[in-house]
Amino acid sequence: MTLQTGPITARVKLGVLGMALAAPLAFAGAATAQSYPDAGETLDWTIAFGPGGGNDIMARTIVDILAKYDLYPGEIAVENRAGGSGAVGWGYLFAQDGSGYGISTTSGSFVTTPLQADTPWQPADFTPVALLATDDLVLVVNGSSDIQDIGQFIDYAKANPITIAGTGTVNVDFIVPTLFAQAAGFEFEYVSFNSMADQTTALLSDSVDAMVGNPGEILGLIDSGDLRALVYSGASTPAALGDVPTMGDVGHDIGVSMPRGLILAPNAPAEAQAFWIETMKRVVETPEWAAYIENNTLTPTIVYGEDFRTFLTRTQNGFAEVLRSVGAIQ
Amino acid sequence: MDIFSDLMMGLSIAITPINLAYLLVGAMVGMIVGVIPGFGPSAGLAILLPLTFGMDPVGAIVMLAAIYYGAMYGGTITSILLNTPGESATVASTFDGYPLAKQGRAGPALVMQAVASFVGGTVGVILITILAPMFSQVSRSFGPPEYFLLAMMGMLTLIVMIGANWKLGVISALIGFALGTVGVDLETGQSRYTFGSAELIGGIYFIPIAIGLFGLGELLYAFYTGMHRTGSGGLVQYDKESRFWPTAQDFISTRWTMVRGSILGFVVGVIPGAGATIASLMAYSTERSLSKNPENFGKGEMAGLVAPETANNAASSGAMIPLLTLGIPGSASTAVLLAAFLLWGLRPGPLFMGQNPELAWGLIASMYLGNMVLLAISIFAIPLFVQIIKVPYRILGPCIVVICALGTFTVHASFVEMWLMVAAGIVGFFMRLYGFSPAALVLALVLGPLAEEALRQTMTISRGSFGIFLDRPASVWIIIVTIALLIILPLIGRIGARAKANKATGH
Repeated sequence: MTLQTGPITARVKLGVLGMALAAPLAFAGAATAQSYPDAGETLDWTIAFGPGGGNDIMARTIVDILAKYDLYPGEIAVENRAGGSGAVGWGYLFAQDGSGYGISTTSGSFVTTPLQADTPWQPADFTPVALLATDDLVLVVNGSSDIQDIGQFIDYAKANPITIAGTGTVNVDFIVPTLFAQAAGFEFEYVSFNSMADQTTALLSDSVDAMVGNPGEILGLIDSGDLRALVYSGASTPAALGDVPTMGDVGHDIGVSMPRGLILAPNAPAEAQAFWIETMKRVVETPEWAAYIENNTLTPTIVYGEDFRTFLTRTQNGFAEVLRSVGAIQ
Repeated sequence: MDIFSDLMMGLSIAITPINLAYLLVGAMVGMIVGVIPGFGPSAGLAILLPLTFGMDPVGAIVMLAAIYYGAMYGGTITSILLNTPGESATVASTFDGYPLAKQGRAGPALVMQAVASFVGGTVGVILITILAPMFSQVSRSFGPPEYFLLAMMGMLTLIVMIGANWKLGVISALIGFALGTVGVDLETGQSRYTFGSAELIGGIYFIPIAIGLFGLGELLYAFYTGMHRTGSGGLVQYDKESRFWPTAQDFISTRWTMVRGSILGFVVGVIPGAGATIASLMAYSTERSLSKNPENFGKGEMAGLVAPETANNAASSGAMIPLLTLGIPGSASTAVLLAAFLLWGLRPGPLFMGQNPELAWGLIASMYLGNMVLLAISIFAIPLFVQIIKVPYRILGPCIVVICALGTFTVHASFVEMWLMVAAGIVGFFMRLYGFSPAALVLALVLGPLAEEALRQTMTISRGSFGIFLDRPASVWIIIVTIALLIILPLIGRIGARAKANKATGH
């Protein structure tokens, strides 16, 4: 296992990379003309975040499954190339244009970072393999609140000024309650925090009325009754949340979630894309993958190939529209 | 007694040979990680976390916790020897630690910081054992208004840091505040001064600035004063035979400092998000206000080193309380521990300790053992570390440059941060030369964004009314304590000084 956080190559000035790409492109094209995968080639697996985060855990889970079931013949080199909210790691993958041996996992920042910074890449530039799961959010209130269910919450929010906490602004945490409020017809003040821990503390101390967050980190507080879950933004509620309705169940579906998927470098050979689609179809059937989905309370949402690219474009456009309307981005 | 039987059960788990081995390995790795500037406990934990994949959770958590507080012990060593804080919690330790080393008291300073860390850590664990349920209430009464007031309280330290020339001190702090505005504005999501760079979205991180200002700046200054030409002369004078152990006076004069630092550190550590940095700063300024000779602070006063050291270790124990009782990580390091819990499929929260008693109490018991192990390791390792300052400066100097560069690079693997560190080093040299206050700059950089975010969150919540600070009991308490610190302590100090003067003239 490599513990290096990021090699120098990731820091090549991205602006001039376009010119430098011609040579590796031609080379990669020739190398992958035969059958894919070539066991002699090392698979360069980029994790665009540091160890221990959601993206890291997903990537390492997949690599473990590949090894356990012998699904990939060659060697896999996993490297964390953190920095710039994913810009560095995915920039590194972007530079491997045409190669079938550069691979990475995506998370929310894959969509949001290009909206915030001048990244040379956009999500749709990469070769899509599969959307495997989505991160969805649960809306919770303090357990001592009088509000028992989402119906009461909407009624209360229509009658009173309320605050909802979330992490960051250029983020699904802001988009989801904004779209939900539009659909349900109430208004609220969004209070942005730096982390899930900060916003949970704010809710527990009765500083805000409600918050949205990934259920995984707060299941303990929901179980103990300190927080009360009202509604879930995904297509189906995870078992751990019990009978909490989805936004669709209460008639206000918003259709936005954070994609956790797998991508190859831009313009990867079709054989490579096909190989990885077939391989991921087997990965998602394993009990290890089921355990990963359950432990991290993700919504299993599986989309392969070009449909994943469409999903990414649609998600990003939806985000950009909402963020532009509030002036967060230009 | 319930707690006692729980603790015994925990000890029986922690004391198995395999877990003891994990503890030892963790403590040593943590200590080494802590010694490298930039490599604080959280970076160390995050990088070593993948090693625990596939380990038994109890053994893994014992090892991770040992890395965590091991790094807290090790983090001060470079603060004292090289004026380079390893992480934000040990910035305050440079204030008097480095002057002590320059006086030739590096040995006693290192031993005292180990003892202070031990006392702070152990008092912290004892308080966790007895008071965990009670303190979980403290951590759930803090929202944005309280964090704002707490950041303001931390800024009182700035008054202390600003030093003799207040104009230069204020300018230093203002530069720090200005740097703190870089990055995405949390509230609106707009980028401020990032110039389209993805590297700056998250703002200017304090580690490269601190390493540059203190470590590299001090180095440039040393070359400027011609220290590299002084033949065999090391960084500071050091006489091993007579000066390794602290004197009895060192212990006696700091015994109450340790008690105050431990309790203050623990209480602040319990508050999620406040953590060891604010705790160490508050302990330093409190101790200075209470001291009979505040003018010695910053010039090598032992209490000025002991106070932040007990506080930051007690705070790192305190930070375990919101993690264990609420599932809320109070610091970057405990956030990594939380990630580990989630990785093992555990569900941290109020029911966690009841559902996983072996894990929770095994962890607490291992912290008692860990502190003892670390005190022992420290005492053995200090004579080795002290050798560093005997190295002639012309050899040590280049090594410090490499250490600063490596330390900065390992955190985020960022070249932008490397350049920031180098720039901060040059600025630090001139600040040093002209009497500005690098410490005030770094503090403003740490506290400014914290205060800004908390104030704007508070104002969104209260819809622009400042009345919110008087509506919440926790806020009112913080205001009372702040006023007490600001007015009453200096008053007591003055009366004490007058009494002393009277006594002196009376004789």
